[in-house]
Parts: sequence; structure tokens; C-alpha cells
Amino acid sequence: MTTTSGARILVVDDEPQIIKLLKVTLKAHQFEVLEAATGEAGIYQASMNHPDLIVLDLGLPDIPGIEVLRRIRDWSRIPIIVLTAKDREADKIEALDGGADDYVTKPFGMGELVARIRVALRHSGNAQQEPVLRFGRLVVDLAQRLVELDGSRVKLTPTEYELLKILASNAGKVITQRHLLQQVWGGHHHESDSHYLRIYIGHLRKKLEEDPTRPKFIETEPGIGYRFLLQDQGE
Amino acid sequence: MRKKGKTVAATAESKRITFKPYVWITIGIAGLTSLFHVLGFIFDDVNIALIYLFPILFSAVYWGIAPSFYAASAGVLAFDYFFVPPFLSFTVQDLRYVLSFAVYLAVAALTATLAARLRQQVKLSKQREANTAALYSLSRQITAIGDIQVLLDNIISRVYETVQTYVAIYLPDDKTELRRAAWAPAELGIDESESAMAIAMLSFRHGEMAGKGTRTLKDFSGLFVPLRTEERTFGVMVIRTGNEDEALSAEELNLLEAFGGLAASAIARIKLSEEAKLAHLTAESERIRTALLDSVSHELRTPLATIIGSASALMEGDEVFSSADRVELLGTVRDGALRMNRLVTNLLGMVRLESGMLALRRDWCDAEDILGVVLSQVKGFQQDRRIVVKLPDPAPYFPGDEVLLEQVLVNVVSNAIKYSPDGSEIVIAVRQTGPWVRISVADEGIGIAEDDRDRVFDKFYRGADVNGTTGTGLGLAICKGIVEAHGGTIAAGPRAGKGTVVTIALPAGDPGLPEDWERKEEEA
Repeated sequence: MTTTSGARILVVDDEPQIIKLLKVTLKAHQFEVLEAATGEAGIYQASMNHPDLIVLDLGLPDIPGIEVLRRIRDWSRIPIIVLTAKDREADKIEALDGGADDYVTKPFGMGELVARIRVALRHSGNAQQEPVLRFGRLVVDLAQRLVELDGSRVKLTPTEYELLKILASNAGKVITQRHLLQQVWGGHHHESDSHYLRIYIGHLRKKLEEDPTRPKFIETEPGIGYRFLLQDQGE
Repeated sequence: MRKKGKTVAATAESKRITFKPYVWITIGIAGLTSLFHVLGFIFDDVNIALIYLFPILFSAVYWGIAPSFYAASAGVLAFDYFFVPPFLSFTVQDLRYVLSFAVYLAVAALTATLAARLRQQVKLSKQREANTAALYSLSRQITAIGDIQVLLDNIISRVYETVQTYVAIYLPDDKTELRRAAWAPAELGIDESESAMAIAMLSFRHGEMAGKGTRTLKDFSGLFVPLRTEERTFGVMVIRTGNEDEALSAEELNLLEAFGGLAASAIARIKLSEEAKLAHLTAESERIRTALLDSVSHELRTPLATIIGSASALMEGDEVFSSADRVELLGTVRDGALRMNRLVTNLLGMVRLESGMLALRRDWCDAEDILGVVLSQVKGFQQDRRIVVKLPDPAPYFPGDEVLLEQVLVNVVSNAIKYSPDGSEIVIAVRQTGPWVRISVADEGIGIAEDDRDRVFDKFYRGADVNGTTGTGLGLAICKGIVEAHGGTIAAGPRAGKGTVVTIALPAGDPGLPEDWERKEEEA
């Protein structure tokens, strides 16, 4: 986690209260905070001050947050976490598919936001994938295509393995259904295929989870997709 | 014109039969005379004279006065000629039989009049019976009707059946102009000229019949019957009558007026029930508004009070609190805010439901998946209640909006937690029965009184026994709205022993997976 401290975070939000809250708490977590109250100012700051991560509110007064996201994505891979209202699933999906790394729903707990920021910074930091992923009792060896639970080998079908590989190598990050469908089934999937995805996730849970209704590894983000839980944040 | 045609035919028929009685009378008297002649002298003159009264009585009863006078004359002449000596001749002395003739005539006249009156009465009472039957059947028919247009169509077709002429009903619109609301037969035969409409308006305004056969404008070729109750006139029925000569009988006028009255009271009934419904709605929305204000102001103020109180205490007297105190105060701030967040979410959900802005994003839902999300959502406040999940294997899939259904289940499970003691058990069971996926949530809590089992799903309604437990009465109403939007049902019932079972039934649908969709993959 130490690698993420001192990172420079740009907060784009038009609410002074939210800016103040984020400034105080993020500084307390040893982040450097830049602020912008409009979309234009946000894009300008992003290009001039080279932040390490952007927290972007989707409801901005001047230009839609999703547009800000798109314009920054035109030239930068910098991690972006979007802030949205609770029941705007369509906005969340649009932002995620439009290049956002993760989202946090307002009202949010600071712990949640800081965890998301750390995950996003870490994933942007080491683009080089480690060959063996360890999550407590679960080990995914990408080099040998091996999955072990409590030291014993878990047998997965190729599709199940592909799903697990994508989720686990993005551990802590939300992955949209569409992204998973694209990655696993390639170009020839369509939206209505999402129940195949659900069924495979169900199978995967059955093989990995002690109690599939209380998952410890693969969490559902309703209406959005799935998130592979980092074991240190498991409750 | 129908009416006229029918009447003309009737007249021709009556003309054809007019001379028939005279033939019969002639034959009858001739027969009687020859009978007397053969049997002749068994009878005295007096008896013979009396027997000649029979054809007179008979013709008076059946054919009326003229034929009976003819019978009287023929009878006297036959009697005089054949049976008064000198036989087979009229003599001067026979003038004394003028008296008999007068008696015959008097009998004929009296009997004919009486019979005619009787016949008239029979005819009248038959007509009345028919009218009463028509009115009765119409009134029975229309009491069940709740829609004005259907009612008018019914009345108009019945009136048309009865009078066999063009009819139409006009009702006033918002600007109190008369508009044609129903008519029969299909092609319109009603005069809608300016003068006709002016008379219709007159009849409507004064609530009196006008036109043909009435006191007002009796020469106009149309009849205007107001649809009137004691208090109000609702419209006008217009009947096209025949031309010059043909006036409607008093009976027909009465019948039409009765139809008008019946229509008016039926319209009045429908209008009253509509008004009552509206009044009920207004009262209901008033009740809801009051409940909303009460509940929202209470539900908002309580957490606000704790938040403001705790926050200001922390700011003002930071040094007097131990760190444990501080954590506790901050906890109340967070809990208060979370509570407000729930309220706002529910209020927004309700608004979205009511404004029809709730759009379902239907997709295939996995019961196991949804329950997983629900369990993680309620984990924060279930304390030591055990939540047991009973899922069939494989877990059912069904079409639905997983975000909204998750909200429904979180609400239902939260209620189960809220109204049951710590340490008790909550069982969430999923099963598929036929075309339905049923999800039931059973608790060991305070239960819901039988009378309240439907009403707990009403907006702002809270059971009588909730004493002390906070809530807005919105949660279950939102659940109901969402479940019904999915074409499902939600119901509360008693749990065997103690507590409540809330059962949600959702249409299972058909995932339509091809047989071999799951390519048999090798497990590596």
C-alpha cells in the first residue's frame, strides 16, 4: 500500500461540501489533492498538473461528467473513479464502458472511496501482471493455468477459468458484464447472452465459495457486473 | 317513415273487414228465421222475438254499434214478415212492432257501447302492461350499468324498439350546448336544424316536454322529452314523429316521459357515484398527504436532531469527551444520516413509481446472486438474527430488474429484522412452482394482524402493533409497486407458530436456452 501514498489526486466536483470532505480525508490519508469545480477546469487541470488519479463527479454544471471522462480518455490512461447517485445504473455502466476504472455511489463511506482509489492506483502502477495471484485461501497461477483452493486443485472449465482470470487479475475493481462477455466470448456475444454469464459465475461460485449466497471472492454489483474481492477488505 | 306505413296498413285491413259482419248477421238472421220456420210453432211469438235479440247482442259485443243496429233492423223485419200474421207480409197493424224495434235498438246501442268500452279498457290495460314491462326491463337493465355512454345506448335502443322511429339523446357539454350523445337507428334521422335545436334547448331548460302532441309547439314535427329528475334536467330525448295528421297518443307520451325519467335517474345515479368516487379520492389523497407530512417530518427530524446534536456537541466540547464517547457520538451521526438516506431513497422510489418513471431493465436474474447481494446489504444491521437461505439446486433464473428486485428483498428482509427479536431466525426460501418463482421471507417477529395484511402494502400505512419501531410506511408500498410492475404479487401471511411470512411471486418466464448451450467443456 505504501506505493500509493503521496499520489496526486484531482477531485472534480461542483459541491464545495464534497470537495472539502474529500480534501480533508484524502490529505489525512497522505494524498495530495487538486480540485476543480467544473468539467472544463477538470480537463485543464488533468492536462496541466499530471495527477495520478481523478475522482470525477458525473453531475457537473457545465459539461456532463461522461463527456469530461471521454475527453480525458482521448489522450490519457490515468485512472478515473466516478461519483454517481445511487440509482443511476445506466450512468455507471456508461462511465465504466467509457473508460472509468471504478465508481463510488453517493452517499459513500470514505473507507470505500479510499479502498477504490488504492486499487485503481495499484492497477495503474504495475501494468506488468504477476504470474501468481494469491487471495488468502485461493491461488491463481496464470502461468500454469492452475487454480488452488486451500492447497488443493480446483477443476475449472476453460470458460470458468477465463472468467476467474479476468476478475482476479482486476481484483478490487468492478468489471462490467459487457467487458466480461467481450473478453471471454469475444466479438460474437450479444446483450441477451448475459444469462450465460450468470450461469458460469454461479458455477464458479459453487466451486470456490463456501456459501454461494455469501460470496467471499466474487461479489455481484447489481445491474453493473462483478467485483473480485480483495481478501484484506473482506468483512 | 315507418310509423306511418304501419298505420296505413292497419287502416286498409280495418276497411276490408267492415262489411264482413253484415254478411254474417244476414246469414245468421236468415238461418235463425229458417230454423223457426221449420220448428215454427213450438215457440210463441214472444219467444221468437226474444231469440232475435241474440244476433243483436252478439254483433254488439263483437262488431260494435253499426252492425248491431243492422242486426236489430234485420231482426225486426224478419220477425214481422215471417212470424206476425198475416205471414209473409208487412201490414199497417205491424206498426205496433215499432216498440219492439225501439227495444232492439236500445239493447243494441247499450250493449255495443258497453262492449266497446270494455274492449277499450282491455286494450288500454294491455298497452299499460306492455309499457310497464318495457320500463321495468329497461330499468333492470340499466341499474347495472356504470358508464353513461353504455347507458344511453341501452336506453336509446329500447326506446327505438318501442316507438319504431328515429330517436336521439342530447346531453349538455361544458358550455351547456346540447351535443348528440346517442341515437338509433344507425343512420341519423333527427332534425338538427337551428329551430329544432332551439326547441330542444327550451325543453332542456324548462324540463318540459315540447313538440308534437304536447302543449308547447304542438305542431312541430318532433317530440322533445326532457331527461328529468326532481332536481335536475340531464338532457333531452328527441323523437321524430309522423307528419301532419298523426299525433302520439297520451299513452305514448306518458311512456316516453317515463323513459325520460328513467334515463335521468340512471344518469343521476352514475353521476353521483362518480362524484362519490372523486370525493373519496380527494379524501384519500388528503389522508395520504397528511400522513406523508407527518411521517416524513418525523422521520427526517429525528435523525437530523441526532446528527446536529452529536456534531455540535463534538465541536463545542471536544476535550470533555473520552475517545470512546467520541466514537459513540460519531456513530449516532452516521446512523442518523444512514436513516435519512433510506428515507430519501424510499421517497424517491415512491415518486418514481407513482410518476410512472419506473423503467424496468429486464434481464435474467439469478436468485442466488440476488440473495447474495441482499444478504451483504442487511449484514450491517441484522445483529444476531440468523438468516437461513433455502435455495433449490440449481437456483431458479427468472426475468426481472435485478436492482429493483434486490431493493424489494432488502426492504422485506429489513422489515423481518426490524420487527423480530435479536437472536431469532429469519428464513428466506426460494422455490419454483409451475410458472412462478416464489421467494418467501419468514420471521419470528411480532406478526401482522389479519386486518392489516393487505393494508400494510398501502402507502404510509403502518400496522397497529408497530409500537415504537420507526418507519414511514413506504417500504412495502414500494415493494408492491415494483413486484406488480414485474407482473408478480406480494402478500403477507402468518407464519406457523409466530411471526410473518412475506411471499413474493414472480413470473418465471422461459430462459430459452438452447439444449446444448453449455458445450460440454473439459474441466482442466
